[in-house]
Formats: sequence, structure tokens, C-alpha cells
Amino acid sequence: MAEEKIEAKTEAAAEPQVEATPAPEPFVGDIVTPDLKFVNEIMTGGGESLKKCYQCATCSVVCNLTPEDNPFPRKEMIHAQWGLKDKLFSNPDIWLCHQCGDCTAYCPRGAKPGEVLNAVRKLSIEHYAAPSFLGKMVGKPGSLVPLLAVPAVIFGIILAFLGHLNLDAIRNEAGKIAYSSLIKSYYIDGVFVPIFLFAVVSLAIGILRYWKDMKQATGAVPQGSILSAIGETIGEILTHRRFEQCNITKDRKLAHMLVLFSFAGLAITTAWAVLYLYGYEIMHAMGKTPYSWLLGPSPYPLTDPMKILANLSALGLLIGIVLVINNRLKNQEKAGKGGYYDWLLIYIIFAVMASGILAELVRLADIAVLAYAIYFVHLIVVFFLFAYAPFSKMAHMLYRATAMVFAKATNRDVELK
Amino acid sequence: MEKKFGVYICKGCGIGESLDIEKLTKVSKRGPIQEEHIKVHDVLCSPEGIQLIKNDIKGGTNTAIIVACSPRVKYEEFDFPGCLTERVNIREFVAWTQPPNDEETQALAEDYIAMGTVKVQKSDLPTPAILENLSNDLLVIGGGISGMTAALEAANTGYKVFLVEKEPELGGFARKLYKKIPTRDFKEPIIVDTDIEKTAKEVESHPNIKVYKSSRVEKTEGQPGLFDVTISGASGTETVKIGAIVMATGGVPYDATKLGHLGYGKFKNVVTNVEFEAIAKQGPIARPSDGKEVTKVAFIQCAGSRDPEHLPYCSSMCCATSLKQARYVRQNPNSLAMIFYKDIRTPGRLEAFYREAQNDAGVMLTKGDVHGVSDAGNGNLFVEVEHTLLGEKAKFEADLVVLATGMVPTTRAPQEYLDGLTAAVAKGDEPKKAYLESTLKPEFILNLAYRQGPELPSLEGACGFADSNFICFQYETRRTGIYAAGTVRQPMNMTEAQEDAAGAAFKAIQCIDHVAKGISVHPRAWDLSFPDPQLIRCTACKRCTEECPFGAIEEDAKGIPSFNVNRCRRCGTCLGACPERIVSFKDYSVDMIGSMIKAIDVPEEDVFRIVCLVCENDAYPALDTLAMQRKQIDTCIRFISLRCLGGMNLVWIADAMAKGIDGFLLLGCKYGENYQCHFVKGSELANYRFSKVGETLSKLQLEAERVQLMQVAIDEYHQLPDMLNTFAAKVKEMGPNPFKEF
Repeated sequence: MAEEKIEAKTEAAAEPQVEATPAPEPFVGDIVTPDLKFVNEIMTGGGESLKKCYQCATCSVVCNLTPEDNPFPRKEMIHAQWGLKDKLFSNPDIWLCHQCGDCTAYCPRGAKPGEVLNAVRKLSIEHYAAPSFLGKMVGKPGSLVPLLAVPAVIFGIILAFLGHLNLDAIRNEAGKIAYSSLIKSYYIDGVFVPIFLFAVVSLAIGILRYWKDMKQATGAVPQGSILSAIGETIGEILTHRRFEQCNITKDRKLAHMLVLFSFAGLAITTAWAVLYLYGYEIMHAMGKTPYSWLLGPSPYPLTDPMKILANLSALGLLIGIVLVINNRLKNQEKAGKGGYYDWLLIYIIFAVMASGILAELVRLADIAVLAYAIYFVHLIVVFFLFAYAPFSKMAHMLYRATAMVFAKATNRDVELK
Repeated sequence: MEKKFGVYICKGCGIGESLDIEKLTKVSKRGPIQEEHIKVHDVLCSPEGIQLIKNDIKGGTNTAIIVACSPRVKYEEFDFPGCLTERVNIREFVAWTQPPNDEETQALAEDYIAMGTVKVQKSDLPTPAILENLSNDLLVIGGGISGMTAALEAANTGYKVFLVEKEPELGGFARKLYKKIPTRDFKEPIIVDTDIEKTAKEVESHPNIKVYKSSRVEKTEGQPGLFDVTISGASGTETVKIGAIVMATGGVPYDATKLGHLGYGKFKNVVTNVEFEAIAKQGPIARPSDGKEVTKVAFIQCAGSRDPEHLPYCSSMCCATSLKQARYVRQNPNSLAMIFYKDIRTPGRLEAFYREAQNDAGVMLTKGDVHGVSDAGNGNLFVEVEHTLLGEKAKFEADLVVLATGMVPTTRAPQEYLDGLTAAVAKGDEPKKAYLESTLKPEFILNLAYRQGPELPSLEGACGFADSNFICFQYETRRTGIYAAGTVRQPMNMTEAQEDAAGAAFKAIQCIDHVAKGISVHPRAWDLSFPDPQLIRCTACKRCTEECPFGAIEEDAKGIPSFNVNRCRRCGTCLGACPERIVSFKDYSVDMIGSMIKAIDVPEEDVFRIVCLVCENDAYPALDTLAMQRKQIDTCIRFISLRCLGGMNLVWIADAMAKGIDGFLLLGCKYGENYQCHFVKGSELANYRFSKVGETLSKLQLEAERVQLMQVAIDEYHQLPDMLNTFAAKVKEMGPNPFKEF
């Protein structure tokens, strides 16, 4: 390592000791470079209590998720106090933490290790995100308006290009309000498909960098099959077994599961809708009569199985996110409230669900102007959710999963009871 | 004065249930005590009981024997001025610790009454020795924060104060500081001005304070109330009459040149915390090597402290000082202060100061053992640390390294010099001459014209600090009337030093007050008696002058001692020291204790008797405490209270054994490094004398184990029953003292 080279050089250059004392054994140790800027970033990024820690290790004792060997979050607290960014980032441990808040609840000094690790994770996402400027922007409250302005401008330009003036008159062939009549799906997908690809590529870059750093810093060589580690990880995520280890915030499991599975439901719905539309369009373009179950452009009847799944998922996600909000407020005294970064994602998901459900209800109520306005908002927040996923807390999904896979593959995992 | 006796037996607190009081009354008639002198009361400490005694005193009774509870309780009730009063403790020593209504228990109570009776017969009411032309003025040595505070505190109560400062201006160590830690609130501003100038002005303008700057004490003669102190300075030499002295000469930083392993002396950018104050005072913190403004400062805590090679103790203020100095560094928001500590020790409210500092993003702290300091190029340094909280060994680069050095009391150098001299003198004239020639004489502080030496004597474990018995009496030194305050007494911060100064000033005032009344100062702060030797029989052996723990006794050219009563603490060590037994107090003498032992009834048959001499300061209250818990003690033991075991005279043991007493026990305070003796050396002296007891016993052809000395601290009362009963069992195992038969 580079540090060792510097080490060797300085040792060789060291002058002999003063005569009064016998020459001590040469000292071999890593050079530690404190980073005040990074400490300030943690403290302003949700970990303002960081410096209160006095290393008593109560946090590591109460944590049910830490491995016994070299446990977290105690060591992360001292690394964070000294601003040792690399030690924190290139380590699976900050993500093995599921932010139960047990450590925060029991910390005798009010140092809130859970909140500090949360802030470190935020900075870690920023650090690995590509491009990095977006990472910094998403974490900053001041950048919220410009970030929202991007989709607003894009969709505004599209609307201006389409030249809709009389919103009330926009109807489909059946005379119903149809969002696909406002902006054709091609336009929507023309925006969202590249955005989705961008997010996937950005996340992939981040994850690969993280994996590389972990391998290098820990010196651990993944053993056995990575695939089986991935399989185990997915199994744990689906069952939320780690959430069960938490004490203070036990009820998070239901809320988080609802959110996760509803997202999955909505993902299936999206694929399903793509099939309905493009299946229909392709068959049509090929001059064939589309199958009768390929329903073509939206809206779809409420009785359609796909629509049923969509509505259930939407409701599930709304309930899930409301429960998340409720839990956080309920536990804020003990487990910490979280920072801007957490609440940004929560509110965006809430906004996506609220605007989506409202758009559907208002459409059914046939109030055209309002419906189209809400739909416009819905487009903006959905864009926000996907385009900025690699930079927002949304990315936790993949970083934590990656850390879990790495930990399993390198035997740093903890046996769950 | 003819003694008119009154014996008052109390039946309360279980005494009446435990003993046959009627029988006790009958046997109390002895010698001059007649039946009409003996009175029994159900509750003697009740207003009626007290009135009973008072009426007798009005009727002419001048010697009262109160047969009731321990003299350590109800002392206000049983206080009869002008009446010689003896407290016979049959509550704690008999009723509460012995089987009730037992023949041996009854005999025990009878012995205690007999001993009390003999004691008053051998005593007289003390009349105080009040010397003439006493001074009420105070001398404060040292014009730092402690000295100035002591002077102001005393002056504000109306006492006249002479303040001697060796520097040309007042302020002492605090004058060297850039800022200090606020005393009230540790929120913003976190560091404040020392305001030392304000205090100095207040002192200099005070009508009751006379300040001598650039001056020192050339000579201190006399005794409390009558000190003649010679002060010499730029304006000449002057001798002033002083009542009591506050010594506030402070400390000096530990000599950093001994800290070569931390780079001091080798690297210009390694400085001490005192030097750092001077650097910070000059504005933006610039390092010595090239004047560059520093942004990364490393603080090494315990530099030479808590280290047997250097200072074995903790100076208690270096942690807070480094936290304060870290704030100097942090006045530049981009600067970093790194603190490497063994333990952060910020006692009391300073914990809040620590927390505030810790909360600062740029104050980085880690526990660790600093291995050394090495060159990092360009004037920068690596601090090499092991066992850090960060994990393995690590090196930290810094622009400047500050060593948190501890403090050394100003009393240490003179003590070391004088101890060295004493050792050289003991070896002969040649070594003495060599020592004087080779050793640099340090600055003396008091220059006492005392036989036992010109400065405060050194004390094992005190590391040179002006300490006497830090557990109970913090300002006392081993020279009566001289009170230590501030960092000369023990390491402390400025706030503590101010409190200390007030305490020492008030102790000095108390001393002046007691001297005026002819009363001892602590711990016998009620005692009017004083040693009154029959010098005509003195053999000039000088043992009393050497052994007096307080240097109260001077001697003339022939070696005949003269007792300075105002220096005396009335411990009675001289009683034990004198082979001729010529030193006596009105109410405390070798004959008195000897007669008490002889008053014990020693039955001829196989009944055992053990005498136990107990120290009144620790062992006696420990016995009272175990009695409160109703612990049982072997009935054959008779306790006799001594002012200090240092007064123990071997003749008592010889007489007791010759009389047929089966065992003899001495119960004294702990001695050695963590000694508890109120008179510093008493129990240690007793132990020394005790080492000679074997001779006496072998003359009598008795087992050496029949006589033992045991150490007990006041809080070890729970161990006492076992210690006492085991000893009694051992004596019984040895069988009765064969001298019983004679």
C-alpha cells in the first residue's frame, strides 16, 4: 500500500534518538490523517451528536446485528470522530447496520450511533455515486428546487411542444379522461427509459467501486459461491429477518415490508402495462388483430387483474409509507428522527403514491383540469424517485444488499437467532 | 485544690438491663469516694439528670465521674466548665458489647469505674497557657492566585496581612496564561481572560494588606502568635511579628528536559503546555521553528506524569488545560487539535468543560500510549501512539506538539536537598562536606529557626507537597501555625486553589484565635492542657526534641529542651519519648495511665485480663461503631484511651505484665505511605518502641506474643471484633500469666 511506502521512507530518514534515552525500537504504524472537513460533513449531515461518543461500547454490546469480532458501531464512531473516511466507506459494516436505533436508545452520552452511521451511509452513497455532483445535490436541501425543476421543465417542454391548450377537451376515443391522451406513452417512455438506464448504470458503477474498495481495504477474499451469498441475501431481504433483531423499532418490519412488496407489485404492474400497450401496438403495427387481453393504451378497467394488482400495490405502498412516517415519529425520542436525507425519500415516495392515487380518483371523477394537473405532479415526483435513485436513500437497497453479500462471502456475517 | 467527688451512674440505653447497678454502686465506694457521692439516674443525659449533676457542682463537687456512654457522644450535655469531668464508657464497652447479667461483664464495668476513679485522682483541671504579646497578623507567602485569595479573604475579615512575593509583580503562574477556563458556565465564551491584574490591584490597594514584592522570607522564628518573620527585599530587611502563616508558594512545571523521549529539546516544535500559553498569548499560533501558523497541534497528556520515572502522581489540571489549549487552536476554524491521553481526568464540573470541548468537531481525542515523537520533515512531527482507540499502532502528523507537563511543588527541592543533607551528615563530616560542595542549594521558603530543620519536613508518599494528613485536615502542615494552600499543597486548578486559599486563611485565623485562648489547634481543638516537664530531672537525651512530630520542642546548648506551647498539638508523643518520664500534662501522664492499669482487678484464679491501649482518633471511634452494631467482644479486654499511640511508654507494658495481666494490645492508626495518624508519626513511633518490648518480656520470661500492636483504620471497625477476639483466644491458649500468683 502507498501508506506503507511513506512509512518506510520516514523510518529510514528518522534521526537517532537523543543520547539521554536508549534508542527505542523503531515504531511501525499506519499514518492516520484526520479529516476535519469530513467530520463536519457527518455532523451537518444528520450526525451532529457524533462527537459526544466516549467509546464506552454500549452500542456494540446492545447491537444484535453486529458480528462479535471487531463489532460496530463503536469503531465507526471513533473513525467518524477523526474523519477517517476511507476506513468507514470501504467496509461492509456501515451497511450491515439496519438502523434499529437500539444503540441510540441505550447510548449513555446521547451520541446516537444509529444516526451517525446513517449520516455516514449518506456520505458513502454520495462518495460512490456517479456523477458525484448529483450525489452532493440530492443530499442538500438547497438543491431540492433545481432537482425538481429538471423533470418539470422536461415535461413542460413536451407539453408545450404538444400544444395542449384546452385541458378539459383532452379525452380518449371513449370520451374519457386518459393520461395517455395528454402525453402519449412514447414521450413518457422516451424520458423514463433513458432515465431508468442512467440510474441502473450509475448504481452499477457505485456498487462496483464499493465492492472493489471493500476487497482492497479489508483484505478479505470472498470464499465460496458469490451466487449462494446473493441467494441467501435475497432470502433475508424478502423475509426481513434482520429487522426482527431490532428491539426499539420492532414495528419497522411490517412498514418496510409493505413498502418493499408494494414496490415489487408496482414493478410487476409496470411491466404488465408495458405488455398491454406495446403488445397491442406491435401486433397492430404488424397488421395482426391484437389479442383481446392486450388492452392497448390506458386507462384500464378497474376489474382487470393488472389494475387490481396495481391498485392493491398502490394502497399497500401508501399504507406502508404512512406507517414508516408514524414509526419514525413515534420512536424519534429513543431511536432518533433521521435527517433530511431520510425524509426526502419518505416524502417523495409519499408524494408519488398520493399523486398517483389522487390522479386515478380524480380521473374517475371526471374532473379533467385537476386530473391532468395532478398527473403532471405525479410525473415529476416519479422522475425524481427514479432518476435520483442512485444518489438518494433509495440506493440503500443495493448498497446494503452488496454489503450483506460481501459479509456473507467473507464470513463477516452474524448468525441470526 | 481539694477534690470533691461525684459519681453518676446512668441506667439508660440498656446499661440498667445489662448490669447489676446496685452492686456497681457498692463497689464504686473506694478511696475518697463515699456512698453519698454516688448517684444513679435512669437517663443521665436528660435535663433532670444534667440538673442533678449541676446541683452537686453548685454544692461544691468539682470532680465528676460520669459512668455512662462514650465520651465521643453527649459531650455538650456533659460539659461542666470548671469541673474535672471523666467519662467512663460502660455503654459501648460493656452494655452493648458484652453478654448481659454476667459475672465477668459486671467485673468489667467495675474495672472501668476503678480506672476512671484513678484517672481523676491523678488528674488536675488544666489551666491554659496563654502567652503574652501575641500577634493577630497573618503572613502570606506567595502572591499567586492562592496567596492573593488567602490575603483578601483574611483581610476582608479584618485581619492585617503581610504578603510576600518573590517576583516584581503579583500574579504568579496565572500571569503566564493566555486565557483561563470559566468558573461558572462552560458555554460560550468557552475560554475567558484570567483577570489576574484586577485581583492584583485589589490586593495592592487593600488597606489591610501590606505587599512586599521582589522579596523573600529570610527567617522565621518563634511560634504561632509569636512568629518573628524577617522579610528581605529591594527596599531592605524588616522583621514583623506574625500570628500565623499561609504558605501559598505554588508549584513549578516539571522539568521538560527530562522528557527527551517525547522530543523535547530535540525538536523545536515540541513545547510544554506552559510555553504554549506564551505562544498563544502572542496572537495567531505560530510555531517556534519557522513562525508558520499551525493548523494541526498534537497534545500529549501525562507527559512525565503518572510515571514512576518522572512524577508518580496526576497533576489533575493538565487534562483541562489541554482541552482549554485545544480551544486556542480552534479559534481558527480550519485548525485541528489532537489530544492523546491515558485517561481524561476532568473532575467535578470540569466534566462539562470536557464535554463541550469533545463536541467540537476539530478537537479529536484518543486514548493511547505515546511511544515517541519523530521527524516528519519540514518542521512537522509524527506522534507515534500505541493502543489507540482507533485500533493498532498509528502515527499522527502535527505542526506542533504540546507536552502536558505536570506540576512540582516549590517545597520539593528544599525537602530533597535537606533530606540529602541529613543522609550525608549521618555518614560523617567528610560526606557532609562533599554534599554541601557538590549540591546546589535550592531556594528555601520558610527558613525556620527550628531544631528540626528550616523547611517543612518531607513525608513519605507526599512527593514533596506540603502535606500532613490529607485525609482529614487538608491545610495543616507539620509546623503548627503554618498552613499550606494551593498547588504547594496538592496539584489543583485555579478555582480549587481559590477555595483552598480561603480554607487555609480561615485555618490560620482559627490558629490565632486558639492561641489567644491557650487552646490547641487541631485535632484536640478543645484542649487547654499542655506538656509541663520537670526539667530538673532531664538527662538531655534529646529524644523528645527529635521525636516531636511538630517540631515544637527546641533545646539549649546543653541539650535541655524548651517546649513551645503554641507549636504543641498535645499528642503526648513526648510522654512516650522520655525515658525519665518527666513530661506530664495536667490530665495526662505516664503515672496516670500506669495507675489505671494497676487499678484493674486481676483475679488469682484462671480468669484472664487483657489491656488494650487505643488511639482516641481512629481505634476508639471504631470500637464505638462496632458497639453500635452490638458486636460481641471478649469480656477479658479492658480498653484505655490514649491521645496517640506515639505516647506509649514501655513501662506500662512492664508494669502490666508484672501485675499478672495476661495480654497487652496496642491499637493504633495505619502508618506508612497511606498513614492515617492524626499526629503523622505516632503509630509509627509506637511500632518502633514496640520493637524493644521483646527485651522486657524476655526478662520476665514471658511469651513475646502476649504483647501485640495492631493497625486499624476508623472504617475498619467490622474487622475489629475478629482481631480482638482472636488475640484474646491466643492469649488464653498460652495460659494465664504466671505472675498472677505473686
